[in-house]
Amino acid sequence: MFSALFHITLRQWQQHLLRLALTTLGIALGVAVFFGIRTANATLLDSLRLTVEKVAGKATLQVTAGESGFPEEILDKVRTTPGVQLAEPVIEVIAHTSFADEGNLLVLGVDTAGDQQLRDYQFDRSQTQVADPLVFLAQPNSILVSRAFAERHGLKPGSPMILFTSIGKKDFVVQGVFQPTGMGEVFGGNIAVMDVYAAQVVFNRGHSFDRIDVMNSPGVSVEAVQQRLRTELPSGLEVLRPEARGQTLENTVTAMRLGMLTTSFVALLVGIYIIFNSFSISVNQRWKEIGILRAVGAERRNVIWMFLGEALLLGAAGALLGIAGGFYIAAAASKVMGEIAASVYGSVSTPRPAVFRFDYALTSFALGLCASLLGAWFPARAASRLDPILALHNIETRGKETVLGTARIVTGVFLIGISIALVFWSPTRVGMTLQLFYAVVTLLGLTILLPKLVQWSARALRPLMDWAGGSEGALAVDAMIQSPRRSAATVGALMVGLMFVFSTGAYIQSYRRMIDRWMGQMINADIFVATSAMLRSTTYHFSEATGQEIAALPEVKRLENVRFTSIPFHGDSSALIAIEMDGFLARAGDAFDGANRKTLLDLLPKGKGALVSRNFSLRWGIRAGDPLKLDTPTGPLELPVLALVDDYRSEKGTIFLDRALYKRYWGDSAVDFFDISLKPGADRAAAKRDIERLTSSTIHAFVYTNAEFKKWVSSLVDQFFLLNYMQLVVAVLVSMLGIVNTLIISVSERGREIGIIRSLGGLRSQIRKMVLLEALAIAIIGVSIGALAGVLSTQFMAHTVSLVLAGYEVPFYFPWMLILSSLPVVAVGSVLAGWWPAQRAARRRVIEAIGYE
Amino acid sequence: MIQLVNVSKQYGNGKLVHALRNVDLQVARGERLAVMGPSGSGKSSLLHLVCGLDEPTSGSITIDGVELSQLADDARTRMRRDKIGMIFQTFNLLPTLTALENIALPLRLQGLRRRETRERAFTLLERVGLKDRATHRPDELSGGERQRVAIARALIFHPALLLGDEPTGNLDSATGAEILDLLDELHREYHTTLLMVTHNAMAAAICDRVVTLRDGRIIHEERIEHQRGGS
Repeated sequence: MFSALFHITLRQWQQHLLRLALTTLGIALGVAVFFGIRTANATLLDSLRLTVEKVAGKATLQVTAGESGFPEEILDKVRTTPGVQLAEPVIEVIAHTSFADEGNLLVLGVDTAGDQQLRDYQFDRSQTQVADPLVFLAQPNSILVSRAFAERHGLKPGSPMILFTSIGKKDFVVQGVFQPTGMGEVFGGNIAVMDVYAAQVVFNRGHSFDRIDVMNSPGVSVEAVQQRLRTELPSGLEVLRPEARGQTLENTVTAMRLGMLTTSFVALLVGIYIIFNSFSISVNQRWKEIGILRAVGAERRNVIWMFLGEALLLGAAGALLGIAGGFYIAAAASKVMGEIAASVYGSVSTPRPAVFRFDYALTSFALGLCASLLGAWFPARAASRLDPILALHNIETRGKETVLGTARIVTGVFLIGISIALVFWSPTRVGMTLQLFYAVVTLLGLTILLPKLVQWSARALRPLMDWAGGSEGALAVDAMIQSPRRSAATVGALMVGLMFVFSTGAYIQSYRRMIDRWMGQMINADIFVATSAMLRSTTYHFSEATGQEIAALPEVKRLENVRFTSIPFHGDSSALIAIEMDGFLARAGDAFDGANRKTLLDLLPKGKGALVSRNFSLRWGIRAGDPLKLDTPTGPLELPVLALVDDYRSEKGTIFLDRALYKRYWGDSAVDFFDISLKPGADRAAAKRDIERLTSSTIHAFVYTNAEFKKWVSSLVDQFFLLNYMQLVVAVLVSMLGIVNTLIISVSERGREIGIIRSLGGLRSQIRKMVLLEALAIAIIGVSIGALAGVLSTQFMAHTVSLVLAGYEVPFYFPWMLILSSLPVVAVGSVLAGWWPAQRAARRRVIEAIGYE
Repeated sequence: MIQLVNVSKQYGNGKLVHALRNVDLQVARGERLAVMGPSGSGKSSLLHLVCGLDEPTSGSITIDGVELSQLADDARTRMRRDKIGMIFQTFNLLPTLTALENIALPLRLQGLRRRETRERAFTLLERVGLKDRATHRPDELSGGERQRVAIARALIFHPALLLGDEPTGNLDSATGAEILDLLDELHREYHTTLLMVTHNAMAAAICDRVVTLRDGRIIHEERIEHQRGGS
């Protein structure tokens, strides 16, 4: 029986190659995006991990204090801790060179006397001049570069090289070149090494180190040394294995990775709709064949297995194709993700080619098969339940398809209702997976209701289509009214794609509005000077001396030094902004929720309290009035939280401290921003030019007026959402494929109808118009239902996803303009997608179409 | 009304099938002609050629003075829309439309507004005895009712020529007889030329002339004398 049914399926494939190809492509696209994004994610994580491990060399433990650094006295404590064989200080800076085309260089400040035991430099011996490390130490302007970097810029031992440091432009001399293996591979080879004490001076680290790399003595376990160090050292210092530090870095890019994974699931979901659509139509096309099979003795389960077997084969072919294509997507996506990780999160990664992972390939393959089976299940079941007698009759006798019974409508409405209630009233701690499950249930409810929604929408559209499109318009929507299931899957694919587009668009717009409002309230200095063209540089900082030079300019009324860093907090991390509180409070207006203004002005500048952002408060359950316990490199610090404030710079939450207090506890005088207020009447543009003139020859700085700064922040938001824009393109493309698929299949299914219309005098142009109008109707209905789903999804993202991932709610804003402007785009896209099927329908021979044998 | 001169039709690329061989046929305006013959004799091919759905391999076909081979596809379609009503054995109603909408369809394809077409369609629906079935869809109608709707659809634009492809072929004999009576009545009313392909001797009996085809050739022709006032 099975082989006979398989034979029939093969014949069907031969006759419907196009449907076969489009269905396979639907699954392939879903799997490709899924596999590609997962591989890109893994590649990025590998690259982050690899960077940490290669830079760590043979170190088994690393001592850090977040990004803030710690006093150099700690080194002695580490070295004298039993079980520590070697402890080497490190300063790590992404510095700027004077080479026009090579902006960034990862500079490691190390103590070369001991560091060669930790890290494998593999010098080009013929070229190196560091025969004696002491020579290197004795010359603070010495630097070693990787061969890749040296070759790119024609450097050799003895060559001069300029770096922008925190204390100005500095001349260095290349003393040696190390090979592009081990550490030389990191950051695409843009790596250099210099003396750690010289680095302290030129990169404004004072008497601090960024990190200590530790190697344990033979015979002593790493865990034992880690435990001893944790006991010996102040609580603000973290003692971690390099791989665990890699994990910490991974955590910083979680939001981006989750966003990408969501996209891949959306693509797969659209793939399921395409399969469902394709198989529904296949069942319709094979109505008579199924009737004959049932009449000659095929059992219901045989019919089900005929379709499921077909789905399995198509799923397998699509999944294999998708995995192959996904690998190319991975290559492109990992590059973009690496750039975003570097620019938005300041994570240094080592570009790596995408690695083919069999476990991901297997998962993707299995998901492709499951998606295919899931999509085919309902059509297969419907096929098995066909009444053979009715199936053998002509098209007029097939009967109107049942749209939806009351039970199904109730189920759909119930699922939507219950899932929305769960999304709104579940605590955020239930986690993202469960919250996403609720969202999927909403989508399931909508999917169940889709045929009814399509029917209602088509009915509502009929007068308009009749009036504007004449008989062809009416015929186009009549088909949807009578057979809503035929269009439901396409509308579903479009709904998912557009829901994603609308909610992402709405989220981005809501987020931007929130940031604009926040900037209007909090960003009110006249001029800002930043260390990086990105949000901040995690390693390169200004010195207070530079601030004093700027403050001496005649138009400057006041300059505040701002340190923006990240510190360990309760096993995770938190952003910390150290700011001169009196100036900050004077500019910030009434943005605080907690103690009154007088108390804030009284306590904060004296370092007797802290402010925390609302997302910090929500994440850690710390409210105004609660004590805030911080572990600093010099010991614990406890302060009352005086008020909450809106701040969106970190998804981990932000603590605001007075700068003097921060310097005292962290021993860190570095500066990341200068907030400058000008004297009344001073011209911002002129002041900006003066500051640029003053700094351009010495430090690497980015100077913005207030308006430019806000614009810059907006552009950073855009950059953060770059991936989302890419996701939108994928979603729209996959949805369009759904429309092409449906229309082509719909045209072949409606061949007889089209033939009848032609035989009654319907012109080719009328047939073409009818198919195109059907495409247009699908677009209008898809946009309408997509907008409905988009409202729910936007609410979900703004309320739940934001709260779970970033700890704050984004105010809900629904982008009517986006929906309205998407209508013509989707309409044109749909009509274009329908063009070829329309041509095909118009050209079909009437006699064949009406089924003369 | 219809003139076929030396018309041949062949199908296939390798082994040719001769559906029609050098057929000469004339049908006068208002005449009713039945074309009979066994399966594969070329009846349906003849019908397709006359209504312009297909083109002859050789020979010429003239409908109402217009040579079909001179017309492009759109012009042939327009001729069909304006002058030729068709009735099929399998009814060929659109399953998504109601009876009334199916009848109005040819007028809507001619570009007439919905309201205009509904009145005319309803008059015809009433004429074929189905005024209570206006909002019913094909699956809600019996075979005979479906064919009545198909006949009404074929007559809605008062065609000069009515083509029937086994109009009673899918009906039981009683219903078939009813349909033939209806066609007879309508012919008297509208004086439409009728070319009907059929196996049914009863159907042929309502016609004025019967030609018999075999292997693509006309092998017999017979004129039927009707009693005055009857069919």
